[in-house]
Amino acid sequence: MDRWEALWIVIVAATLGIFIGTLVAIAGVGYIPPSEVEAEYRPTDAVEEFKPGVRSLGDGVYEVNILAYRFSFQPNKIVLENPKEVRFRIYSNDVLHGFNIIGTNVNIMVIPGYVSEIVWRPPPDFEGSYLVICNEYCGIGHSGMFAELVIKR
Amino acid sequence: MFKDYEKVFMRISILFSFVALALGGLFGFIQLVSRTPGFPRLVDASGYYTALTGHGVLMAIIWTAFFIMGIAVFVMVSELRVNFRKTLLGLTLVLTLGGTVTAAIPILAGRASVLYTFYPPLIGHPLFYIGLAVVIVGTWVFSAAVIDVFLRWRRANRGVGIPVGAFGVITTIIIWLEATPGLSIEVLMDLIPASLFGKPVDVLLDRTLFWYFGHPLVYFWLIPAIVAFYAIMPKLLGVELYSVKAAKLAYILFILASTPVGLHHQFVDSGLSFEAKLLHTTLTYSVALGSFVTAFNVLATLERAGRARGGGAFSWILKLPWRNPVFAGLALAFILFGFGGIGGIVNASLTMNYVVHNTLWVVGHFHLTVGSIVTLVFMSITYLIFPVVFDRNIFSGSLAKIQPYMWFVGMFIFALAYHIAGIYGAPRRVDDSSYMGLSPEIWSPLLQIGAVGGLIFWLSGVIFILNVFASLKFGAPATVNGASLSNGSGSEPEDEPTIFDRLSIWIIVALILIVIGYTVPMMEIFSRGLSPVEIVYIGG
Ligand code: HEM
Ligand SMILES: [Cu+2]
Ligand SMILES: [Cu+2]
Repeated sequence: MDRWEALWIVIVAATLGIFIGTLVAIAGVGYIPPSEVEAEYRPTDAVEEFKPGVRSLGDGVYEVNILAYRFSFQPNKIVLENPKEVRFRIYSNDVLHGFNIIGTNVNIMVIPGYVSEIVWRPPPDFEGSYLVICNEYCGIGHSGMFAELVIKR
Repeated sequence: MFKDYEKVFMRISILFSFVALALGGLFGFIQLVSRTPGFPRLVDASGYYTALTGHGVLMAIIWTAFFIMGIAVFVMVSELRVNFRKTLLGLTLVLTLGGTVTAAIPILAGRASVLYTFYPPLIGHPLFYIGLAVVIVGTWVFSAAVIDVFLRWRRANRGVGIPVGAFGVITTIIIWLEATPGLSIEVLMDLIPASLFGKPVDVLLDRTLFWYFGHPLVYFWLIPAIVAFYAIMPKLLGVELYSVKAAKLAYILFILASTPVGLHHQFVDSGLSFEAKLLHTTLTYSVALGSFVTAFNVLATLERAGRARGGGAFSWILKLPWRNPVFAGLALAFILFGFGGIGGIVNASLTMNYVVHNTLWVVGHFHLTVGSIVTLVFMSITYLIFPVVFDRNIFSGSLAKIQPYMWFVGMFIFALAYHIAGIYGAPRRVDDSSYMGLSPEIWSPLLQIGAVGGLIFWLSGVIFILNVFASLKFGAPATVNGASLSNGSGSEPEDEPTIFDRLSIWIIVALILIVIGYTVPMMEIFSRGLSPVEIVYIGG
């Protein structure tokens, strides 16, 4: 191993160190993996108390409970008016699913037996509709599993 | 040098790997065409997921594992001059072939369309899991065979550094043995009982066990390709590897940190804490260091070879033997290694991962890595060792010359388009991504460009397969003998052993890292209490 090689190793190690530092720093301002935003886990029997639907908590804050099942979401059309902060709680009562709002950072696995939670702050100027898809293989009807998220201003 | 039964073993495992590649490629073609808008739909949804399961299993596991076993024997025997034990090789073949066929039946019958990650609670036919378990046991027998050869060599060669090719094979085996317990526990404790008796399972636990195995699997593929860069490429070019010590450092980094990183496949899973994910990100970046060290070493070796041929500051690149298919394949794969590596850094970043998780970005990524760095390297090694193993020359030299370039060009287009489509959110693992017309318009053209690239490298694969099978039948009797491929002196005994040659120390450190890396998530999962759910039979 010569001088150049040692230098290269130092440079790469430092770069990777900077990457990790950046990750931690931006995690500090809220950019952390979606599943970890105040996650809360419930055993399977939570499904009885899990009421799918949109709840407005006022001031643009919403809580949206979504049931994922083969091969649809309930509700599969979600309408939000002037949302500022939306907490999605997603529960699957059969197999593994995904929940991905296309064009946003909302991308989370829905693991049966656990409630997946994610908080989303929609872009303030967006008006219109988002496509929401299941992005984990769940069986033969997987590509037909999607929903629509409508933002009204 | 090779005993007859070793040749038989290499022939069977390498030929079987080609069959897997051919069949997997057929499935790949079906998927590519069927999922692209504006292209004919060759299969319905059920056929699509059958093909996808077949493609994933055949490509990611069967093609790679059988080819790796073949060249592992080749490298060990030619470098160490120690022969394998016949019974162990025989038993390896019986178990791995038997297990593969057992698992293939339900897959092809469409009764195990659970994809190659087979996440529960979706459960396929029991034979699929049983076959898989038998294959794993077979690979353990093979690992024992390799370790046996290595230990016998070591006993006779105290005070000698391990040759760099054999070092790589041993590294591969160590990583495989680190990784497979996770998969075995998942299959034996949960999946087989689930498929036979309907045992409810905790999905998060099984995902965690799967990825405990799944990431080191990546290094199980990659290291044999790196062995080709370290041990074969310099010989091909008639120079010495730039730094043997750095090569060994890279291997050790892979041994240390290839396993406690699996959570980087679960960044968007609920139920695992940010701290655990951060720990795995950090460890992932330390394995990345191994890849960077490799990149430097290979590039420096290439430069040395180019300059030895009279090249200057940059013109050395042109002096390299680009018309030699073995060299071209290795070098082109090495270029793709750069792109694959950079993409991997993005995947491994826990704050960027959710932009690309489960999108076509990932499909682009692993076709660059296992689909090119590994596959293209294996193809080029084939051109080199075919005459030695099969006693026949490659049928068409000119087809062999264009084949790596076609793969490279096609893959470049495919991977670029799929990476970009992934950034726009286009999902992987779907037979159709139109969502009744709601999907973003940009997806279609990107998928179509990707399909053009895909067809180009698929054709390159067809050329490769036809060429090797034609060589078996019509190839001229071999003109290369085995000795010219190995070091004249038998190995590199002049190499002093380095600190990296003291494998037992590094294995212990690796085990400690694994314990640390997995105690954290396992404590979370178990202290909260498991949450088992009913299983769902595929098609039921
Ligand atoms: C021969 C030409 C090939 C073509 C046309 C092809 C095409 C494809 C396509 C289109 C997909 C995405 C399917 C989807 O997500 O819906 C895919 C997935 C995949 N490919 Fe390939 N591929 C080829 C070769 C390879 C090779 C050589 C490897 C590895 C050695 C490989 C490994 C994989 C894996 C592991 C998957 C993921 C399967 C899954 O998501 O379950 N492919 N391939
Ligand atoms: Cu789905
Ligand atoms: Cu990984």
